[in-house]
Amino acid sequence: MRRSVTVVATVVTLGALIGIGIFSDSQHILTLSIQTMVLAALASSWNILGGFAGQISLGHAAFFGLGALIARELWLGGTSLAVAVVVAVAVTSVTSAVVGVPMLRFREIYFAIGTLALGVAVFITAGNLWPGISSLPAEALRNYDFTGPYFMALGVLVVAVVVSIWLKRSKVGLGMMTVRDDEEAAKATGVDVFAHKMIAFVVSASLAALAGSAFAYFSVSYYPNFPFSVIWTLEAILVVFIGGVGTIVGPLLGAVFFIVGRDALPTDIDEFQVVLFGLLFIVVVLLLPGGLIEAADRLAPSKKRETPRPQQTNRQQDKGKELT
Amino acid sequence: MSSQLILQSLVSGILVGGIYGLVALGLALAFGVLKVLDVAHGELVMLGGYASFFAFTYWGLDPFASMPLVFVVMFGFGLGLYLLLFRYVTRTEIRTRIKNSLLISFGLVLVLQALAVRFFTADERTISTAYSFEAFTIGPVRVPVVRLAGLVVAVVAAVALEWMMSRTRFGRALRATSEDWTRAALTGVNVRRVYLIAFAISAALAGIAGSMVSLGYSVSPNIGLGWTLNALIVVVLAGLGSMRGIVVAGVFLGLVESLAGVWIGGQYREVAALVLFLVILSFRPQGFFGRAHA
Amino acid sequence: MLRVDGLEVAYGDLQVVWGVSFQVPKDSIVAILGPNGAGKTTTLLALMGLLPVKAGSATFQGDSLVGLPTHQMVERGLVMIPEERAAFASLTVEENLDLGAYTPRARPSRAATLDEVYDTFPRLAERKAQLAGTLSGGERQMLAIGKALMARPELLILDEPSLGLAPIIVERIFEVIRDIRDRGVSVLMVEQHLEMALETADYGYILEMGSIVTEGAGSELEADARVQEAYLSL
Repeated sequence: MRRSVTVVATVVTLGALIGIGIFSDSQHILTLSIQTMVLAALASSWNILGGFAGQISLGHAAFFGLGALIARELWLGGTSLAVAVVVAVAVTSVTSAVVGVPMLRFREIYFAIGTLALGVAVFITAGNLWPGISSLPAEALRNYDFTGPYFMALGVLVVAVVVSIWLKRSKVGLGMMTVRDDEEAAKATGVDVFAHKMIAFVVSASLAALAGSAFAYFSVSYYPNFPFSVIWTLEAILVVFIGGVGTIVGPLLGAVFFIVGRDALPTDIDEFQVVLFGLLFIVVVLLLPGGLIEAADRLAPSKKRETPRPQQTNRQQDKGKELT
Repeated sequence: MSSQLILQSLVSGILVGGIYGLVALGLALAFGVLKVLDVAHGELVMLGGYASFFAFTYWGLDPFASMPLVFVVMFGFGLGLYLLLFRYVTRTEIRTRIKNSLLISFGLVLVLQALAVRFFTADERTISTAYSFEAFTIGPVRVPVVRLAGLVVAVVAAVALEWMMSRTRFGRALRATSEDWTRAALTGVNVRRVYLIAFAISAALAGIAGSMVSLGYSVSPNIGLGWTLNALIVVVLAGLGSMRGIVVAGVFLGLVESLAGVWIGGQYREVAALVLFLVILSFRPQGFFGRAHA
Repeated sequence: MLRVDGLEVAYGDLQVVWGVSFQVPKDSIVAILGPNGAGKTTTLLALMGLLPVKAGSATFQGDSLVGLPTHQMVERGLVMIPEERAAFASLTVEENLDLGAYTPRARPSRAATLDEVYDTFPRLAERKAQLAGTLSGGERQMLAIGKALMARPELLILDEPSLGLAPIIVERIFEVIRDIRDRGVSVLMVEQHLEMALETADYGYILEMGSIVTEGAGSELEADARVQEAYLSL
């Protein structure tokens, strides 16, 4: 029963998204949708490392930015988009593998701080090396067609989701989750902890680069170091947790909730939007670690499993009777 | 490259390093005792800076005069923050505690920063006193008074903290709780109360660091993360969980940044410091003074 | 003095202790024995408020323990020495002992108690200023007991006092335990070391898989066939 509901829901959503892309004329809706899809893809990518493998990376934006940077530079320089994206993802993949070797040796909190330091360092460096604004040439601006960027973003999101689903169902994914739950125990049962962390790291980085490429293709003008900013990492994490960390749909739900929510709130309380989401995030982590998904689950309660009582004759009672 | 430039850089590095140490003291205390990682610590520095700034602007209070006030206010803020938020984080076991506090204080960063923008505007503020431009001149080097103050306050705070930890009953309870809260509870220590007070002290320390920042540098709503990152680096360099050598590690970081600025160029000072940090983390994760973990 | 009824403890969905009941009368030594994983330590931790109690009651000198904060239990005289390394390695011997008298009740007589402890454990007096982490296993256990005594307990709980110690030291420890009882402090101990514990204890309970399977006076249990069986299953 559950399975078919999921399939129907997926088909409907996909259909709706495609429909919007083809038929919508509203710049506003198209922009929002693209932003949502890019964020959802980025969040999904973080979810693979943080939700499946349990490694909290605070420098994720580095890969998002790298993907965006390479794709943008190549594409604006004349290369075809497809090639630009492939190169961006490939380079980021390799880079993440290289970076992962020393980084993944760090435990937990050191990993978080280390990736944060790395992310900030890369952000500053990118800003230094590419200080000027990156803008689409005037002609492209005049005839800006949303179709290309929209379907690229959609494609990227689909790829991210498919990879997530495949990973979650695979043996590799299972290995990652055992590493997340208890690294020592995983090691004891023969799981190659480092390899699994590395796979999660590289896949996560590659998908982030893909999302970055979509961002680069869609954005009109921005400072090249913007996609490297820690804001992206924060938003991805925020969105993943609000939606439901470790699930497939969580990051997607969270992204929709975030972007649509942010847009729906009146603009004159700009800062309060942030406050609201910040508070919501805190509430989620404290009370509802499973995010929106868990909230939905709770509304339809399932049977609770209790441990069975171990079998044994109640000798205490016998003995007690003997003594008194 | 003139030796005067290098010397001046060294001195600047030491001076700013003092403040790095001061900010890190609070963070180290919170982490060492509660095992809670508060990435919103920098935001507390920012708030302390604003408190000091407004006390100066509206009441004419010199930042040194208002320092006790800022300490008390931020102590209270820390109490509130613990009771409303971090208290719930400390209910879990240590591993999840670090993860949860990391995430939660994230959210707190967003909230505090946004509120600061709303109420204080995004402008940079600096306290300009009569002595703001005074400096000692030692040979070719200029030592601005307002920045030296930061280092002095840092050293005083570190010494005071050390004295409290080793000579007072509460300090011993703090150390016991840091080592093992279960055992501390079994010894009769009211762990909840220790957590509460330790966290409040940590916030108060951040506050007076903020005072020094608004005096010797400047405050604006978004400076928080930068200070937090620096404080994190200092804490790790000194040794996660250890309270010794924090100011020393802070000065070290300041020096590294300064020298990097001179040799590689100002744009890359922070990058150099970050890279050095990563290198040290790789080879000696327990920092300079920490004990090696199993 | 201490009365536990139907105690149940669970880690989330995983229940570990199923309705355990026992008593510790005044001026006696009671032992809870059983193999590894039986739930002995879990029971103690729950008793001391360090683990949530799922069901059941526990009273100490008439007052309910469930829901009471740990430090208040210590204040009332219920002191537990946890398994292994009960002293704080980063503090010196004297600092540890001094910290032992943390509660307001124990504080006033701190100096006098300290002298008593040094009398009982002269080795500790010798090593006053040494960091507890540098002591030998036996010395650390003595420090742990000494520190607990500083809190002026009415009932002392020991979790595996003999763990990891040489036989000579274990004998000494049990001597000290008997001494403590003779001075008016009741003792509850959890042990895997059946023989020594049953020799010392006045009464014993055997815990297996989270339930008490047998109980009786120390000498009785020693002879009991079931105890032999449980012992062999260790």
